[in-house]
Amino acid sequence: MIIYTINRILHLIPVLFVLTVVVFGFVHLLPGDVIDTLSAGDEDVTDPQVRMALEKEYGLDKPIYVQYAKWLVKVVQGDFGHSLITRRPVSVELLAGIPATVYLAVVGMALSVLIAVPLGTIAAIRRNSPIDYGAQITSLAGISIPEFWFAIMCVLLFSLYLGWLPSSGYASPLEDPVQSILYLILPATAVGFRHAAYTTRLTRSSMLDEMNKEYVDTARSLGFSENKVIYKYTLRNAMIPTLTISGLQLANMLGGTVVLETIFSWPGIGRGIYEAIIQRDYPLIQAGILVLGTIVVIINLIVDLLYRVLNPRVALN
Amino acid sequence: MTEIAPQMRSALGTAAARPTMSQRLRRTQVTLHNAMGELYKSKTAFAGFLMLVFLVFACLATPYATRYDPVKQNYAQMLKAPSEAHYLGTDRYGRDILSRILWGGRRLVTIAVAAVVFGMLLGVPYGVLSGYYGGWADSVAMRIVDGLLAFPGILLYLLIVTLARAWQIEGIWNDLSLIFALGFAFMPEVARLSRGVTLGEREKEYVEAARTMGDSSLYIALCQILPNCISPLIVNATVRLGYTILIIAALSFLGLGTLPPTPDWGADLSAARDHMETHPLTAVFPGLAICYTVLAFNLFGDGLRDILDPRLAER
Repeated sequence: MIIYTINRILHLIPVLFVLTVVVFGFVHLLPGDVIDTLSAGDEDVTDPQVRMALEKEYGLDKPIYVQYAKWLVKVVQGDFGHSLITRRPVSVELLAGIPATVYLAVVGMALSVLIAVPLGTIAAIRRNSPIDYGAQITSLAGISIPEFWFAIMCVLLFSLYLGWLPSSGYASPLEDPVQSILYLILPATAVGFRHAAYTTRLTRSSMLDEMNKEYVDTARSLGFSENKVIYKYTLRNAMIPTLTISGLQLANMLGGTVVLETIFSWPGIGRGIYEAIIQRDYPLIQAGILVLGTIVVIINLIVDLLYRVLNPRVALN
Repeated sequence: MTEIAPQMRSALGTAAARPTMSQRLRRTQVTLHNAMGELYKSKTAFAGFLMLVFLVFACLATPYATRYDPVKQNYAQMLKAPSEAHYLGTDRYGRDILSRILWGGRRLVTIAVAAVVFGMLLGVPYGVLSGYYGGWADSVAMRIVDGLLAFPGILLYLLIVTLARAWQIEGIWNDLSLIFALGFAFMPEVARLSRGVTLGEREKEYVEAARTMGDSSLYIALCQILPNCISPLIVNATVRLGYTILIIAALSFLGLGTLPPTPDWGADLSAARDHMETHPLTAVFPGLAICYTVLAFNLFGDGLRDILDPRLAER
């Protein structure tokens, strides 16, 4: 297990390398000079003296791999440069958005698992019953509905017509818990419903898989009650793929909430990146994507290791 | 019950004769008939198939079926409710919503198909070759794929779309850059899948036979192994088409897709939000169009998986 962990961590190096190269190369693929891009129409850049000084400052007189190395060293230290719009350090701008995004993604994920796992389990136990067909149709529809449309329709119904919930906004859960939950309900539902649809399908099929295995027959023949067989033995094993996929999806959600954060004016990292794209704030785009990518890689690693802990049989192969 | 093609029966008696034209036709007919029979057996696949046929028909018939110009503004007819003249009503510039949905769909489906085909053209040879050759080339290739897969959600598209915007790419080139972005982002998934299948196929007897006969590695990988990997790839591509349509709609919803006058489901939906309270239907119809299309691809892909991999159909 320790060797495997070390091995897995070593595998991160090339992955992070590709990620950083793409993000680093991105600014160089933009039209025009890097100085023009980074100074964003500031005065003085036409003066050759200033240009020389800036080129030296950004290290543009060096070969590109040296530039990459220098940039990487800075990035590792958390120095992503300054936002072109607000002139504040990018790391400060990014850190401000992370808690809101994590809060939204985690609640959305929890919500979807809480709905999907019981639904998928019941659908598998009562196979080919109306409940099963209902669950299958709902989940197929669920993965076909675009989340932003679902979000808009929810806003239309619950905010504009019924007036039960605020249509957009954010309140910190630490400062104003009640208000915070009111703001959270619609975005979290919109984030979670798509994943709920996936998870229902996944839980149903892995339950059916497990129920056909021999140990279930053995347990039944030993006279265990049906409830014990299903909930104590089968469900536990069927949960392994569901939880693994949910973990991987959580990583994806962190980056996938861009659209929903925009709709609900949620002050998260996704909306930050979106606004940076609209305003052409390149250092912020670069840093945002790099940070989210790194988080995804790390979550994937943790999920992979947890999977081995939950399912020791994998290690034998 | 699968019918046996006539030339196979004759092949039992006589030595393998070159099939005549009519035999070829007959064989195609039998294949088609069998395929339809299989399709009919799976309820989901058949439903998806019918929905897709209707979709393709609507896309092809758009220029003849629409009565209004999707782009021309008509301020006398702003935000009209559905009526005889405008079946789905009009938007805030007085444009017929039905026409915009039909023209938008034509464009959207074309871009999605092109993007998925492009992604497969990149990813399939990549995955098959890396799986077949193995060794360090495989390791390097797969680490690149892992790196690309680390881009969460729609961020890789956003990166490429930002580049396209910075270069001020317009018109057809804008669509091509979108196709490139979507196809390129699809590549790692296809590469992984085709590599996985290749690893299984590589050890089979027919590959060994081809090797004994002295076929070159490249030939074996692309002409012998690849055709045997095709069925999971087709299923994957079908489901991916639905997903690609969702992404395109999301990008244009964010205002990062096509520029405004072009009919586009995502952009129309986003524009309809401004007067959603008074005219909710303008926001409902483009959304329903997206749902219909994605559902069609998902149903068909789901059913196709059951047909092509009968072990799963039991579930």
